Amino acid sequence: MIFIEEIVIQSSCNQGNHPTPRLYQESAFCYKVEFECMASNCSILIECETLHLVKEAAKSAIIEAWRIEHKFSRYQDSNTFTAIHSKPEQWQNLDHETTQLMIFANHAYHASAGLFDITSGILRRIWRFNGSDKLPSQASIDSLLPLVGWTKLGWELHRPDRLKMPTGMELDFGGIGKEYAVDKMLVYCCEIFAKTQAAILINCGGDLACNGRRLNGESWKVGIESIKDATSADHIIALSSGALATSGDSQRFLLKNGIRYSHVLNPTTGWPVSNAPRSVTVAAPSCINAGIISTLSLLQGAEAKGFLDSIEMPYWISN
Amino acid sequence: MAVTKTKQKNKELASLLTAASCALIGGLATNANAGNNSWDVDAAFLLYSETDSRVSAAEPVISATKNYDEETKLNIKIAADTLTGASPNGATPSDQIQTFTSPSGNGTYTAEANQQPLDDTFKDTRLALSANWSAPLSRDWAYGVGGYFSKEYDYQSLGVNGSLSRYFNQKNTTLTMGLNLSNDTLNPVGGVPTTLFQVPENTNNNEFSQRQDSDSKSLVDTVFGITQVINRKTIMQFNYGLSTSSGYLTDPYKIVSVIDDTAGANYGGNFQSNGRNLYLYENRPDSRLKQSLYWQTKYQLDNNDILDLSYRYMFDDWGINSHTIDAKYRFRFDKQYLEPQLRWYTQSKADFYHRYLNASGYTNNEFASADYRLGDLDTYTIGLKYGYQFADDTEFYTRVSLYHQESSGDQGYGKLTKQDLYPSLDAVILMIGYKF
Repeated sequence: MIFIEEIVIQSSCNQGNHPTPRLYQESAFCYKVEFECMASNCSILIECETLHLVKEAAKSAIIEAWRIEHKFSRYQDSNTFTAIHSKPEQWQNLDHETTQLMIFANHAYHASAGLFDITSGILRRIWRFNGSDKLPSQASIDSLLPLVGWTKLGWELHRPDRLKMPTGMELDFGGIGKEYAVDKMLVYCCEIFAKTQAAILINCGGDLACNGRRLNGESWKVGIESIKDATSADHIIALSSGALATSGDSQRFLLKNGIRYSHVLNPTTGWPVSNAPRSVTVAAPSCINAGIISTLSLLQGAEAKGFLDSIEMPYWISN
Repeated sequence: MAVTKTKQKNKELASLLTAASCALIGGLATNANAGNNSWDVDAAFLLYSETDSRVSAAEPVISATKNYDEETKLNIKIAADTLTGASPNGATPSDQIQTFTSPSGNGTYTAEANQQPLDDTFKDTRLALSANWSAPLSRDWAYGVGGYFSKEYDYQSLGVNGSLSRYFNQKNTTLTMGLNLSNDTLNPVGGVPTTLFQVPENTNNNEFSQRQDSDSKSLVDTVFGITQVINRKTIMQFNYGLSTSSGYLTDPYKIVSVIDDTAGANYGGNFQSNGRNLYLYENRPDSRLKQSLYWQTKYQLDNNDILDLSYRYMFDDWGINSHTIDAKYRFRFDKQYLEPQLRWYTQSKADFYHRYLNASGYTNNEFASADYRLGDLDTYTIGLKYGYQFADDTEFYTRVSLYHQESSGDQGYGKLTKQDLYPSLDAVILMIGYKF
């Protein structure tokens, strides 16, 4: 892999102060751009004969990813996330993108019978999955549960561009943001390569999407990191179209009295889901689709495998 | 029961989320069509009319497919058609009025001088039923089985078929082997005539009393195919087919004129035997081995239009060779599509095809048929299909095709040269359908 150059992006598009993305050449017509986003190492692999289009595509994709990250980040101010939470108990108008994400979250909530709930993020204030044995008290869980529940939001599907946030509640787009960004990056790249043949694979910390096969007709070979040993792969997946997403706990868990508490929380009880597989990878037409299915499967706990079997989407489980 | 319900619920949930993802990203759910376990029905009505209003046909077709998932489906098809009109009986036109015994032997029909002899007793209603089931055997293997039944007042066909497919290279390559067996029974009006025998005047003739009521034929078709995804826009298919039929392959209603080839006033006119024109019942070999090679390529252009090209080469041991070239181009608009089609078919005649037989040598023929479908033939089809897809995923479509047929061959001698032995044929085919 030969380093070619840095892809310079103006600072106004880099609110997260990320390092400058780097462009490498892997082989004759295969380029790789590495960058950081949403606390993950990300890369864009492009096979194509036109280097200047690679740079253009990578640039627009990274700007898009960083835009999404900034817009919905909890850790930055003067963004959409902050604006939404600064006006509790008032009706406010949502922009188109936020409206679409709310509609998606609504479908996911109902499809999962309440298990996938973007209002459950605040439970993480008391659940710290750092490998320790510190469980929160039931009293502290009970104190937060009234602030969890999608249906408590002032939001309706027939007027999806309006929102009234109850005091103390919080939306967490973190569960879908990365996958959403991967899909959007692929859309941006494909637009630039509308007239030029190119094979594109976007990867954000293991959530990835491609625009089809590699130029030589082979599928992309994707290794899913082993949970026990990050240097080896548990599965090698041949991806020829669509996307993959992995949900799992890797290092994020609690261990007490021999019971392993995964970081996947059941929003109705406030407790981690028990006996869930440690990691589930799902293939679907889009990354956000793969992500929501892998997350939903973990929420099924011990039933994860049965759930995945029944929906007949390709999947890989690691324990 | 509970397990099935949960499974069904989960599948619905998954397809809902795929749709929601799709709406969010704005892409297309290309490979996650999980099937909704409902019936897809395609109801169509076809009208066929020859422009000289010789034959017209009407055919309603209903095809219903139940999709259990992407690869598991059951298809049931029902078609009924009614043909009315007159079809060429095989005899040559003449400068004299010709009288023919009807197939039943109970009457006659005539052909005016210089007119193509047509059997106007031709009327048929056919009902056909078929069912096909296809499902995967494993990730790499799939199979299909089916059955077929059709009935006309003088013809029944019963068939079974099976196929086995093997996928390679992430389903980019598919090898398929198919087998079709069918057994057909004919009950011709008036019985099965004696081949190459003079058509009797009426049922009083001994030939009628010697006839059998029915005969049968059987058919074995095998096909070996390979389908290859060339790239994201191109898919190619190549098939080899081997088909053997045996039994009664003759058309009981077709006859052959015997022409007088002795010099004189009647040179080129109908030969007389037993005081009337000599027409013989045709006779075809009792077996036929057909082989075909088929190539098809579908290509999706950058603007999503689709080009579909195919070519078929067929040859058999009757001496028939044929080539078919078919080209379709689908212009795709937002909710509509327009698909022009061009098709050219050309065939060389069977060894035993004779537009007529000569009086001096007709007894030497083991086989003879004057059926234009076995002669040198070219057909041209130009068609236009239009479809409209509604928001609820239903589709209306209609197709108009113009069909032109040209035959050619031996022009005869003497008086016969003044006759049009190879009239061309034009037809209009209209189809209207609705998929829901």
